[in-house]
Amino acid sequence: MLMISPRMASGTQEKQYNPSLLNFFIYNPKFGPREGEEEKKILFYHPSEVEKNEKIRNVGLCEAIVQFTRTFCPTKPAKSLHTQKNRQFFHEPEENFWMVMVVRNPMIEKPNKDGKPPTVEYQEEEILDSVYGAVLQQCYSMYKLFNGTFNRAMEAGGVELLTQKLEKFFYRYLQTLHLQTCDLLDVFGGISFFPLDKMTYLKIQSFVNRVEESLSLVKYTAFLYNDQLIWSGLEQEDMRILYKYLTTSLFPRHSEPELAGRDSPLRPEVTGNLLHYGRFLTGPTNLKDPDAKFRFPRIFVNTEDSYEELHLIVYKAMSAAVCFMISASVELGREFCEQLDGLVGPQLTLLASDICEQYNINRRLSGPEKEPQFKFIYFNHMNLAEKSTIHMRKTVSVSLTSVHPDLMKILGDINCDFARVDEDEEIIVKAMTDYWVVGKKSDQRELYVILNQKNANLIEVNEEVKRLCATQFNNIFFLD
Amino acid sequence: MERGNQENGIREEVKTDEPSSLKCTDQTVSKELTRTISSENHINSEDDDALVDENGMKASQERPLEPQTKDSTADNHLETEAPSDGRKEEETVDLPALSSVDSAGAHSLSISEDTTDSIHDDSGEFVVTMLARAKLEEQGMGVKGTSSPLLETGTAVGNPAHQDEDVTTERWRQHRKHVFVLSEAGKPIYSRYGSEEALSSTMGVMMALVSFVQSGDNIIRSVYSDEHTVVFMQRGPLVLVSVSSSRQSEQQLRTELLYVYNQIVSMLTQASIARIFEHKKNYDLRRLLAGSEKILDGLLNLVDSDPSFLLSAVHCLPLASSLRDSLSQILQKAITPNLVFSILIAKNQLLTIVQEKMVIDDARLDPSDLHLLLNLIGASSAFQAGEIWTPICLPNFNPDCYFYAYISYLDPPECTVCLLLLSTDKEAFYAVAECKRKIEEAMQSQNSLTAIAKAQSYSVSQVGVSDLRHFMYKPFDVPDNYRQLTQFTSPEMEAPYCSEEEKMRLLDLYRDMHSRIHSSSRPLKLIYHVAERETLLAWVTSKFELYTCFSPLVTKASAINAITKLLRWIKKEEDRLFIRYPPKYSTTPNPSKSSRGGKGGADHTDSTDNGVLPLL
Repeated sequence: MLMISPRMASGTQEKQYNPSLLNFFIYNPKFGPREGEEEKKILFYHPSEVEKNEKIRNVGLCEAIVQFTRTFCPTKPAKSLHTQKNRQFFHEPEENFWMVMVVRNPMIEKPNKDGKPPTVEYQEEEILDSVYGAVLQQCYSMYKLFNGTFNRAMEAGGVELLTQKLEKFFYRYLQTLHLQTCDLLDVFGGISFFPLDKMTYLKIQSFVNRVEESLSLVKYTAFLYNDQLIWSGLEQEDMRILYKYLTTSLFPRHSEPELAGRDSPLRPEVTGNLLHYGRFLTGPTNLKDPDAKFRFPRIFVNTEDSYEELHLIVYKAMSAAVCFMISASVELGREFCEQLDGLVGPQLTLLASDICEQYNINRRLSGPEKEPQFKFIYFNHMNLAEKSTIHMRKTVSVSLTSVHPDLMKILGDINCDFARVDEDEEIIVKAMTDYWVVGKKSDQRELYVILNQKNANLIEVNEEVKRLCATQFNNIFFLD
Repeated sequence: MERGNQENGIREEVKTDEPSSLKCTDQTVSKELTRTISSENHINSEDDDALVDENGMKASQERPLEPQTKDSTADNHLETEAPSDGRKEEETVDLPALSSVDSAGAHSLSISEDTTDSIHDDSGEFVVTMLARAKLEEQGMGVKGTSSPLLETGTAVGNPAHQDEDVTTERWRQHRKHVFVLSEAGKPIYSRYGSEEALSSTMGVMMALVSFVQSGDNIIRSVYSDEHTVVFMQRGPLVLVSVSSSRQSEQQLRTELLYVYNQIVSMLTQASIARIFEHKKNYDLRRLLAGSEKILDGLLNLVDSDPSFLLSAVHCLPLASSLRDSLSQILQKAITPNLVFSILIAKNQLLTIVQEKMVIDDARLDPSDLHLLLNLIGASSAFQAGEIWTPICLPNFNPDCYFYAYISYLDPPECTVCLLLLSTDKEAFYAVAECKRKIEEAMQSQNSLTAIAKAQSYSVSQVGVSDLRHFMYKPFDVPDNYRQLTQFTSPEMEAPYCSEEEKMRLLDLYRDMHSRIHSSSRPLKLIYHVAERETLLAWVTSKFELYTCFSPLVTKASAINAITKLLRWIKKEEDRLFIRYPPKYSTTPNPSKSSRGGKGGADHTDSTDNGVLPLL
């Protein structure tokens, strides 16, 4: 078993352990139906050094749990198993392919006197099923984005190819899971949209049209600014996971000096031999390099119907990033990349500074520079639009929130309550710490607000939220 | 003669268990799932069953709640079947370890013999019956005296309709809440729907899951699917499982399972359950519980429909305080040594409860124990027949000891007002019955029954707040020095909560709020929930806990206003809504039985010391 190293504390103090990944495995019960062949069911197992019988046992338990719940509802088998020490999440993304994630409950280790081993107290109610269930589903979506479906791999190269792909992908991906900071945003899996005036928006659209016309190979385009989406030609579900990849993995790896002052309205000076700021985030790092490689990551979209395999080209100038997606059947070489760089680079540089300028003007117009005192999360199920003033910028490693984790869990609880019914609802709660948390659900939209006015009463809280809706959402929604 | 046989039966039951052959055959719960499931078949194999049946029958005589009945048919069967080779052999065996608590059961039987005799003599002056009387009657009529002993001793139960249900159908699956009880050996003990036999493989799997997780030094808690929450709970040698689509929280389902466990304990005591399975791992506990399915069914129905269980509080029937006081005084005066609780119930709600002083000082009746008693009374119409004298354990008071409950309705044939007297002395039947006569007389002279009949629950309209549809209020501010039952008050459910579905829906909304506000990891102080069809507010303070339901269009301002008015109204009415000052009495301790050890005193009587229960 993998031991997660605790945060070090002195011997006499309690140690708090965060939730952590114990196991992650993928199996197909049809692959080893006979006794003695159980190992064949296992397609991937993390950590790999776990002893074979232990793996078989753990897979066996999952099979048994799933089978058991089918006694009561054949079509809706188990989603999670709660035990004293951990939670297991089950996901069957493709028929008979089961993904299982085992998360250890957070725990407190209390030292004992007289050299006795410390007492371990598991905090069994801390983990939210909705959050970690969503994280597991995201694991599959991310795998599928870069590898296609399990079944396609089986068709192409049998179990051997599939296990290779799983090994290659999850070995790295699992290291990027940061289970202790998962929260409601993982449930939404939303996209943050960049707020923009009409003129600038039209400029961007015409840019996309021009490029797609000039570079007829380009099948889909997506345009982002400041890690926020402005335009996408992809299906929503595909964009959702691509967005997740871009903002939590690709962009943070490529943050660079020129972006440090990205919010400054300075127009970039075109100096010397540098005609523009454009560069490839995928593919060749330097076009001038004679040994440059022109290999782009492949992604799979529309896996439900047309099943397209595409090259993913991400090109960035200052805070503006564009994704160009081109059919994987086309060979891409130096010539194409130079053509793209020459065409897109200058235009995008210009566009990026336009957006920046416009953005700053709008910000000044819309009122005081100061961040609103409201801490809120907004999500729209229809367009996946998400906005949070609770979260600091997400980085590769952590997503920081500005509120206590318990309050985030209360938001998660309210979200679960909303998920039970289709109708519009409003839930206001007062936590033991006297914080007020307000959840509103209207049509497909959800809004969660955390209020710090500890002495406020219900009516004052209500007034505050009304004010927020009026200023931030132009009263687009909500009862009352 | 009969009595001797019974005692031997007990001894023998234990003796047959001594050989370890049986124990090892059913160390069923193997480490591997596959093996467990196959060994589960073994549980049902014939030769095994035969052994169990033999023991089962004998064991059922040990059962404290067993035939204290007038139904001689059934009795005779037991008697005629009694002689067997095994018994004589065991007569010499003495098992002192057993003579402590077990003898309580044995003695209760022996009392019943006396009393049954007297029934015949006194031509039905009173009827002593058993908990499962209805069941035995059915059997008695069904078998017409020619039945095999196997039938009587347990398995052939007059099944309620749902027990015959085909467990492979959609209808069975769609039950809102399944509850299963099984032994550690995976042997079925109870299923709310469908027969235990048909479910034995399902229960085998449940046990396998429990023990598999256990083998990894871990404990299984629950399984969630989109449709169901499955909660596992182990208590001693019993495993209880709830499969619910009600969306209740795990904590709530666990509490309900605890009620089921406690109801079983109330019939058998924890100690004897532990002992039975210590001696024989694969013992079929249904043999001791035969006939009590009804009680568990009734409990589960009540748990689903009565908020008392959710709130862990007792619902009192609103009563003018003068009337309640006079009833209390009547109970206070009708006492006898070793009487500890006198409880008066009407329409399944509490009228008044009077406690022995020492009990009050030491411990109090837990609301959940009272719920079990109320369920017991409500579950069987048999109690309406006359007077019942039955051993009963109050699990939260002391899970290992029996009280002796005298139960009698005061207003036959309507049977709405019920008197419940609890004594620690199993021989006290006549003395306690005499108390009842005194109480009855006093009530007659004061015309109390007519007054009680007029008492009824109230309408929310009496509060006079227009948007308020319903509420539940549970105060914590009971007067000092009166450690008493936690109570709550709540009006009738009225329109739009008239149909069973709507009532259940409102209760479910309350349950949701209750689980959030009392969440073990993230408790809240207040919840205001605006939904499509109603607006709800839950509020917990140090003084009270309140759940209210308003019409959906109520504004927050008017809701707060309404609550202020409601609290004022409750304050004004509290003498009527609650038992404010629970009275007590002091029963003279019998000099020979003065070892008052307070709560937890074990029953150390043996066969030579009839009827001393130094429980208090």
